[in-house]
Amino acid sequence: MQLDTAILVGLLFAVGLYLLFQRGFTRMLFGFLIVSNAANLLVLSMSGRPDGGSAPVVVKGAVAMVDPLPQALILTAIVIGFGVAAYVVFLMYRLFLEHGSSNAAVLYDQPEDEEEEDDT
Amino acid sequence: MNWVILPFLLPLVTGLLALVFGSSAVLRRVVTTISAVVQLLVAVFWVWKCRDGAVFCLNIGAWTAPLGIAIVIDLLAALMLLLSGITALAAVVYGMYEKSAAKEHPLRLPLLQFLVAGINLSFTTGDLFNLFVAFEIMLIASYGLMTLEVRGRSLRHAFPYLAINFFGSALFLCGAGMAYRLFGTLNFAGIAMRAEQMPDDPRVAILAMIFLVVTGTKAGVFPLYYWLPKSYTIMPPAVAALYSGMLTKVGVYVLLRLFCTVFPHELHGLHQFLAWLAGATMVFGVLGAISCNTIRSILSFHILSQIGFMVLAIGFFTPLAIAAAILYIVHHIVVKASLFLAGGAARRLNGTDDLSKMGGLWKLTPILGVVFLLQALSLAGIPPLSGFWGKFFIIQVGLSQGQYVLVGASVLASILTLFSMLKIWLGAFWAPEPAEGVRLQAKGWRGMVAVPAAMAVISLIIGLGVPFFFELAQIAADSALDKQRYADAVFQYEGKGDLIRP
Repeated sequence: MQLDTAILVGLLFAVGLYLLFQRGFTRMLFGFLIVSNAANLLVLSMSGRPDGGSAPVVVKGAVAMVDPLPQALILTAIVIGFGVAAYVVFLMYRLFLEHGSSNAAVLYDQPEDEEEEDDT
Repeated sequence: MNWVILPFLLPLVTGLLALVFGSSAVLRRVVTTISAVVQLLVAVFWVWKCRDGAVFCLNIGAWTAPLGIAIVIDLLAALMLLLSGITALAAVVYGMYEKSAAKEHPLRLPLLQFLVAGINLSFTTGDLFNLFVAFEIMLIASYGLMTLEVRGRSLRHAFPYLAINFFGSALFLCGAGMAYRLFGTLNFAGIAMRAEQMPDDPRVAILAMIFLVVTGTKAGVFPLYYWLPKSYTIMPPAVAALYSGMLTKVGVYVLLRLFCTVFPHELHGLHQFLAWLAGATMVFGVLGAISCNTIRSILSFHILSQIGFMVLAIGFFTPLAIAAAILYIVHHIVVKASLFLAGGAARRLNGTDDLSKMGGLWKLTPILGVVFLLQALSLAGIPPLSGFWGKFFIIQVGLSQGQYVLVGASVLASILTLFSMLKIWLGAFWAPEPAEGVRLQAKGWRGMVAVPAAMAVISLIIGLGVPFFFELAQIAADSALDKQRYADAVFQYEGKGDLIRP
């Protein structure tokens, strides 16, 4: 179980990074999402072996539970990751409107704007 | 009542208030300015309270540590709070002269306050996961603030900043998870105590390496700096001053905190590795600065080169070196922020900050020239200005450790810093007036000169009162390096929960 998770986390990081290094915005966006989920999964696996532990819901009578703290941590991390992902989508959209392209190679090939300082 | 939470709570509440009163720009400005002054006073109060090295802690929710989140202020954190107070106040006041109330973006001041809230929480938190949350508050506010007033194609330079910090956050999250598995707690004091009991465990050094990469990304340490110079130049000067002063220094502060207070002091050569990275950062940063031709990009590259000095001192890792790093951070934040503000004023007067098109400022606005020259020479490290002392102590430690190559690199970086500062001086101040003339009728430029002038006075005081400030830095370094004192402050509180202490 631990090994499976470790391999999956590694695979997700590899896929996410590969997508991040692409030029298309859509691929990059998926790269962001996959990398942040790979990190979440890694934190989840830090609860230790789930064998024999029940879900961390306290009822009458003590039973072996899995460590609930990593689950609380990724709950926070998921919310934060979602907020940042929403921002990424919007920034990409604005860049697309500005440059008329969703390809990073085209984007960074264009010349700089002439800057105007307004004094109001 | 425990006031430890105040440095975080004040900007957070102010940000919310500024959002609520968003319709009236004047009201927004009044609320934010009053709050910025109060935040500065609170920070002064904390420096005064911690002046003899005392450590104060709030265990949130009345849980006994390491349950719950601990908020801790020691002298190092208090000094950083003071600097963030000064920089934030300067950014708010300068912003008023930079733009008229009607033209100001309604979200600028709220986002600025949220940014300060995130920065202050990173300084005061005593919990690794809470630090992650603080970083995210800071980053999300900084993404918004960075792109808020950007028009046109420059927007694309915000994307690398976003991308690298997104990846840094994911790595931080992984590091926090692994730290929890390894130490069984996320509390700084708890981790410190556990890590002491596992010397020679390679996993501790690997974890330290992960956090070195995370904080290095924030601070712009070689080779993770390429995003910084371009993205910092797209912001208006008031905002850029806050970013250049505080955001990179949050990375340096967390590096200091983790390496001094949390991780073991013996890390199998990681410190030496850090020192070499710092040497590379210094040299590459200053070489980048020489190749630039606008004030803002030269100053942005200099952030990197100066970060190199601070990290070099952390890499040497003796109490004296840590004290020198703290003194250098104190000097650098004030000087760098005021240089960005002075650069903004010069740009307002010349209508551009392309050095080949500027000129005539020394003749028409000698005060701006004096302010710029003072701060530029301080940055280069000319005695007796504030920048000299930090460099002097760092080089002294380096020589006593026999690190001649790194000392040579830092001296080279200082000389090249002076060279590129002279380039700005010759281009903007000394050169004859350009054909378009200097726009002395431009609005608000007097205020835009007054704010950096006030900060120049602060940095003059630091430079001339260096025995006092270095003693303060030494107390801060001792208290940051003293894990037992930190742990005692965190664990003394008896609250809810009955967990065996680490």
